[in-house]
Amino acid sequence: MAGRQIFDPCAFRNVEKDGKIIGYSFAFKAQYYRSITLSIVRDLTVEVDGEKAAREDIRLTVNGQPFTLEEMRTVIDPEYRWEFGDFATVTVLKDGGLSKGPHHLRAHQSIAPSYMPFTIEKDCDADFDIA
Amino acid sequence: MNCEIKRSVSLYSYQDEFYNHQLDLEGCLRETAKAGAAGVELLAEQMIRRFPLPIEDEAFREQWFGWLKQYGLTPSCYDAFLENRIFDNRTLCLGEQISMMKRDIRLASLLGFPVLRTLVSTPMDVIEGSLSYAEQMNVKIGLEVHAPFSLNSSWAEGYLSMIRRTGTRFFGFIPDMGIFCRNIPDVTREQYRRKGAKEECLRIVDECYAQRREKGFVKIKYDLNLGKANMEYRMANGMQEMLDAVKRAGGGPADFGYANESFVYSWSDPQDLIDNIEYIFHTHAKCYNIHEDYTETATDIAGVVAAYKKAGYTGFLSTEYEGGEHLRDDLPVDSIEQVRRHQEALRRAIEG
Repeated sequence: MAGRQIFDPCAFRNVEKDGKIIGYSFAFKAQYYRSITLSIVRDLTVEVDGEKAAREDIRLTVNGQPFTLEEMRTVIDPEYRWEFGDFATVTVLKDGGLSKGPHHLRAHQSIAPSYMPFTIEKDCDADFDIA
Repeated sequence: MNCEIKRSVSLYSYQDEFYNHQLDLEGCLRETAKAGAAGVELLAEQMIRRFPLPIEDEAFREQWFGWLKQYGLTPSCYDAFLENRIFDNRTLCLGEQISMMKRDIRLASLLGFPVLRTLVSTPMDVIEGSLSYAEQMNVKIGLEVHAPFSLNSSWAEGYLSMIRRTGTRFFGFIPDMGIFCRNIPDVTREQYRRKGAKEECLRIVDECYAQRREKGFVKIKYDLNLGKANMEYRMANGMQEMLDAVKRAGGGPADFGYANESFVYSWSDPQDLIDNIEYIFHTHAKCYNIHEDYTETATDIAGVVAAYKKAGYTGFLSTEYEGGEHLRDDLPVDSIEQVRRHQEALRRAIEG
C-alpha cells in the first residue's frame, strides 16, 4: 500500500513538437541502490494498455540529454548517469500520443551490475490519466 | 579482554531515505553521528552525484572533511564496485580492471578511507595487480565475505594462498554478518506471507534452514563463474530436497520465492573470525530487523562480538541495515530508527 514511489506522479503526458503530438512520456527511478552508467541498463520495455512500444521508439533522458537504447550501450560519462533516487524521463514516439483518460503502464527495467551473476529485472506498474 | 571494537554505519543503511529525498549525504552523516557511531562507510556511487567527478574536486573534499569534523566521524570503509562488465559486449581486460581498481583506491584515499571494500566478483589477478598501488596509497583492499561465501573454505583458501605468496599486508577480508544468521529474518518471512505463501511451506523452509545450520553448511568452491558455483553450493545444501518438499505441500510462486530466498542467508561458526583475525580489518554488521528490545531477528551479534573480543579485533563493526528491501514494495521503511537500535545493540554487546 505505502510502498515507495517509483514514478513521478506529475510526469505522465503527451509530448508535443511543432504543434503535433509525437508521443508520450513518463519519469521513473532506477530500482537499484546506487547510480549507474546507462551502459549497464541492458533493456527497457514499455507497454501501455497492453500495447508494447518498439525498442527504437524509446528514449531515456538524463541530465537533459535523450538517448536511444542503442546509444545507451556506450554511455559511461559521469554527467549522464542515472542517479540513485532521481527520476529519468522515458519518451515513447507514437503519432498522436495517448488518448485522453485513464491508462495502465508497465515499464520493465533490466539492469546488470557487473558483480551480479544475474540481471536485475523489475516490472514497474502505474495507473495514470492523460488530461 | 580487549574492548577496542569500534562502531560505524554504512550509509547503504539509509538508502530508502536517500531514494525518497528525505536525507541527503549530509543528512546521512548527521544521522550516523546521532546513532552514536564513530565511523562512516560510504558507497560513493550511491550518494555522490556525477561520480566520480566531485571527489576529484577540492571544494567538495573540503566540505566532506568539514562534515566529518562537524559530526565527529572517521571514515571507515569505501565500498567500490568494479564495473568490469560496463559494456554489454565484453568484459574489461585485466589492465583495464586494474586501472579501475587503482582509480577507486585513489578515490578512497582522497576521502580519507583506510579500507576499500571489493566484491567477490573481483578476479584475483586484479587484486594482486593493485597491491603495490594500495600500499603506496595506504588503503587496504578488503574482499567482502558475503553469503553464500564463507571463511575457512576452499574459496577463502585461494585468497589466503595469494596473501602468503605475496606477503601483502594490504589485502584481507570483510566479513558480512549475513554469514552469521541463526535463522531466516522475520521481515523476509512476513514479506512472503504478504505475497501469499502458505504456513506449511514457510515451516518447511524454516526447518530446512535449521537443519542446514545444524549439519553445518557445505561451503562454496572458488569459481569465477559465480552462477555455477552458487548453484552447486545450493544443491550441496539440500536445495532440491527442500524444493521437492515445498512442491509436495502444494507450494506456489510465493512459497518457492521464500525457498530460494533462504539461500541469501547462511551460518558460519563465529570461531571462523578468530581463526582469520589477522586478515580481517573491517566488518559489515548486517541487520534485517531490530526489535524495540534491541534484539536482531537473525544475526548473531553476541556470538560475533564475543569472538572478536577474544581475538582482540580493533576494527569497525559497520551497521549495514538491509531490512528495507523486504518492506519497500508495500510498506514504509524507517532506516533511521533501525540503525539507531542496531548501534545500541552493538554498543551493549561490545561494552557489556
